[in-house]
Amino acid sequence: MSNLEYDPHRYPGKLDQHEDHAPGDEPLEDSGHWVRNANLGLGFSIILTVAAFLLAGSHVIYGPSIPVALIVLAIAQMGVHLVFFLHITTGPDNTNNVLALAFGILVVFLIGAGSIWIMDHLNHNMMPMEQMMQMQP
Amino acid sequence: MTDIGLPASVEAIRRVREDPHRLGHRPHGPDEPVEGTGQGGTGPAHKRILVGYGFWIFLLSDIVVFSCFFAAFAVQRDAIAGGPTIAQIVDIRRVGFETAALLLSSYTCMLSFAATNVRNLLWTQVFLVLTGLLGLVFVLLELQEFVELIGRGITPQRSGMLTSFFGLVGLHGLHVTAGGVWLATMMAQVQVKGFRREIVHRLICFNLFWHALDIVWIGIFTIVYLLGSGA
Amino acid sequence: MFGKLNLSAIPLSQPIPLITSMIVILLVVGVLVLVTVKKWWPYLWHEWITSVDHKRIGIMYCLLGVLMLVRGFADAIMMRTQQAMAIEAPGYLPPEHYNQIFTAHGTIMILFGAMPLVLGFMNFLVPLQLGVRDVAFPTFNSVGFWLTASGALLVNVSLFIGEFARTGWLPYPPLSETTYTPGVGVDYYLWAVQISGVGTLITGINIVTTVLKMRCRGMSYLRMPVFCWTALASCMLIVAVFPILTATLAMLTLDRYVGWHYFTNTAGGNPMMFVNLIWAWGHPEVYILVLPAFGIFSEIFPTFSGKPLFGYRSMVAATLFICVVSMMVWLHHFFTMGAGAAVNTFFGISSSVIAVGTGVKIYNWIFTMYGGRVRFETPMLWSMGFIFTFIIGGLTGVLLAVPPADFLTHNSMFLVAHFHNVIVGGVVFAVFAGVEFWFPKAFGFRLHQGLGKAAFWFAFIGFWVTFAPLYVLGLMGMTRRLQHINFPEWRPLLYVSVVGVGILVLGVISQVMQLVVSIRDREKLRDVTGDPWDGRSLEWATPSPPPFFNFAVMPNVEGEEAYWGIKLRAVETQQLSPEPEYEPIEMPVNSAVGIYTAFFAAVFGFAMIWYIWWLAIVALVAAYAGFAMFAWRDVHEFEVPVEEVARVDRARRAAREIFLTQLARREALP
Repeated sequence: MSNLEYDPHRYPGKLDQHEDHAPGDEPLEDSGHWVRNANLGLGFSIILTVAAFLLAGSHVIYGPSIPVALIVLAIAQMGVHLVFFLHITTGPDNTNNVLALAFGILVVFLIGAGSIWIMDHLNHNMMPMEQMMQMQP
Repeated sequence: MTDIGLPASVEAIRRVREDPHRLGHRPHGPDEPVEGTGQGGTGPAHKRILVGYGFWIFLLSDIVVFSCFFAAFAVQRDAIAGGPTIAQIVDIRRVGFETAALLLSSYTCMLSFAATNVRNLLWTQVFLVLTGLLGLVFVLLELQEFVELIGRGITPQRSGMLTSFFGLVGLHGLHVTAGGVWLATMMAQVQVKGFRREIVHRLICFNLFWHALDIVWIGIFTIVYLLGSGA
Repeated sequence: MFGKLNLSAIPLSQPIPLITSMIVILLVVGVLVLVTVKKWWPYLWHEWITSVDHKRIGIMYCLLGVLMLVRGFADAIMMRTQQAMAIEAPGYLPPEHYNQIFTAHGTIMILFGAMPLVLGFMNFLVPLQLGVRDVAFPTFNSVGFWLTASGALLVNVSLFIGEFARTGWLPYPPLSETTYTPGVGVDYYLWAVQISGVGTLITGINIVTTVLKMRCRGMSYLRMPVFCWTALASCMLIVAVFPILTATLAMLTLDRYVGWHYFTNTAGGNPMMFVNLIWAWGHPEVYILVLPAFGIFSEIFPTFSGKPLFGYRSMVAATLFICVVSMMVWLHHFFTMGAGAAVNTFFGISSSVIAVGTGVKIYNWIFTMYGGRVRFETPMLWSMGFIFTFIIGGLTGVLLAVPPADFLTHNSMFLVAHFHNVIVGGVVFAVFAGVEFWFPKAFGFRLHQGLGKAAFWFAFIGFWVTFAPLYVLGLMGMTRRLQHINFPEWRPLLYVSVVGVGILVLGVISQVMQLVVSIRDREKLRDVTGDPWDGRSLEWATPSPPPFFNFAVMPNVEGEEAYWGIKLRAVETQQLSPEPEYEPIEMPVNSAVGIYTAFFAAVFGFAMIWYIWWLAIVALVAAYAGFAMFAWRDVHEFEVPVEEVARVDRARRAAREIFLTQLARREALP
């Protein structure tokens, strides 16, 4: 087993090989960039958040497209958090993290989209007669 | 490997030196094999990697719990049972403050970990306190929202939509509260035990947790509040 | 003070639970008294209860699973005999009791029988096969086991305090809502399953991290034994879908306890949403059970055919394929509930497609046997029985995957026969095969082969005699969970099924006798070499049982089937590899946090079930306090001195020297 007592971050320079790292942790060579990442992440997030709040209920763009735009902004901001705060990159030391994230996103998509699709069809097909009458013009 | 007794060729000696486990390929990227990536050259990974990755996997499972509550909200968003609609219960101004508080707390959390990396106890604690206070602001604002709604007779027992609203937002608030309790415990541990190996590992986990909560909140304020307000 | 709990909770008016409870209490008290009198508590506490050794935890998981399998089987006997006796007659189990029995049967068999067994195998084997000393989070592992045991405890407590759910093993609303089940039965179910669900999730996280990040040098992904791949896939599924179970049961709990409207009939609740979400968990759950079972067979077939596994890469691909597609099929459990043609078609196709993965595996196992020198020892018998049984079970599954066919067979005995076919043929046969195969490794002595083979034949024949009639009954129109039968033309088939149950009972008796006889004769059956089956993977390189640190020096792996290469080279050169340089080893210390947390989790669950709010708060606070105390400890590891490591390993090498000469003599035979 790797030396359990040995902490590469306590004795920088002693470790002569690169190591894999978890999200939210940073590889040795990136310690100088930590605060820069935090600032960039905060900046981008503020822009995206303000944009979303201003967009909701406004008339800047075509009305029915606002929900789509809001979701795009949300996904973008989640990406900003993942890249700048959680340091998910495409390096070989991050492959496990990216794969785990991709798997998680797949599961969330299957449950979310799957449930909405299924429940929508069930609700429509199994709607009680009184409710259907109420929906007549 | 050299058990047959024949003289080893130059090629064989080179192979033994560079590829002792006969993995048959050069590791990607830098010359040294990268620990913990599964290429097989380095043996079990360092505990710091194990703890971080294990917690990342746990967080993904927590995200799945949230996605079930999101799915329930999506299915029940129109199930108002004659009661108020989403647009009638959301308060965008307060949500704006909550979002600002949580986002800033993510920022201070990162700065705290920067201080941890250089083993600066004072600034670690300062930024942890700020993170905790901002988180507390978030929770108090949310409590205020719930108390106001319940005061107006808008309770989760009223309709399916309100159940899933209180459930989703409440679950997130519960996580933030639990995170706050954890934060307080971590501050005490850091103060008493310093930057021991296990303490730093737990701070890594706390960081992951806190940022993940902010990511979930992005989903909540967009889907529940901004979309729900009738956008 | 005691919430809803009072003396009427004890089933004094129901003879069967009353007598069963008295017997169980007597047995438990008897065991506790025996342990106290023989002064075994210190040994049990230090070596087992507070152990963080993955091997000990794995064995305890399997023990829990086997005990619960017996309880579930008892429920099954009652169900089959009731149906045979209730043809135009009352039978001996009133409906409110019969309903609890079939609910308990399903819940216990799946969640407290099969799951712990599968988790136990993964815990025991994965670190040994990967050539490392323990899983990624050993103390956490202990917590996970004890939480599962807490859940099992709560289910069994419901037998003599209160009642169990009457809803079937998945508590569909609105029946499971407070309006229609005001009693504590569903609450017992909810808290038991939630608590043990946390335990299962812990194992899932542990094994995923271990397989991905902790392997010995040289063991790349494509050199891992296939069992480790299936363990990885199964645990990835656990991490992905057990949160769905947690969320859905939490929603039902909120509905019941505080009157919310997730799944109620009124005020905007949606009962079908429960069905949808619970099966989004429920289908991957059965793949969580069956994938490690496939892994067990992937270890047994090569060993007893004397050949490497056929098609390693396609096995890995099929495993990952099944892992992903299993999350895309769940609607086939409720084709008939009105989702419409488009949705049904999608899920019908995906459910048929998933059979391809299993088909690939079955061909690979068969081709592994082909051309090999097959030895028909007990584990191989179970494996060949599995091939036959599982193929038929899988085929009936593909039939059920066709929506129009399912409209006839949904919730009929055809369905019941199908899922027992695949679970018994797949998971249960795998468990018994695995027990026969790895018992010597775990305990240091072999099992009596004759009784093992008898147990197999009774189980195999008994299974088919029990369940084949149920296929026919299903097609004749018999639905499931019937307490009373109005059709005398079903009588002959129901009687045949009860005969089958009798044969299965003989199988259980043979299995128990095998254990008793083997323990009695253990010195004669001692496994001195550590490799009684001519194994191919790294666990067979260790002595039986392995030392607590598994390997004195972690192996360096140079190819697939790590141990086989080492063994062949040693036989060729007639010498072991040179003695390595021993170093002191750091191992984690034992910890009581597991049993402590689980104890208070059980108390919390019981308090919540009976509405004893003050006790629930006390238990929560105590659990948190214990956790914080554990987090405050200063000593995590202890060092095993070099002399100790060297002593253990030299003993192993001495045994291996003798083994080497035996192997050489065997190779010299024509």
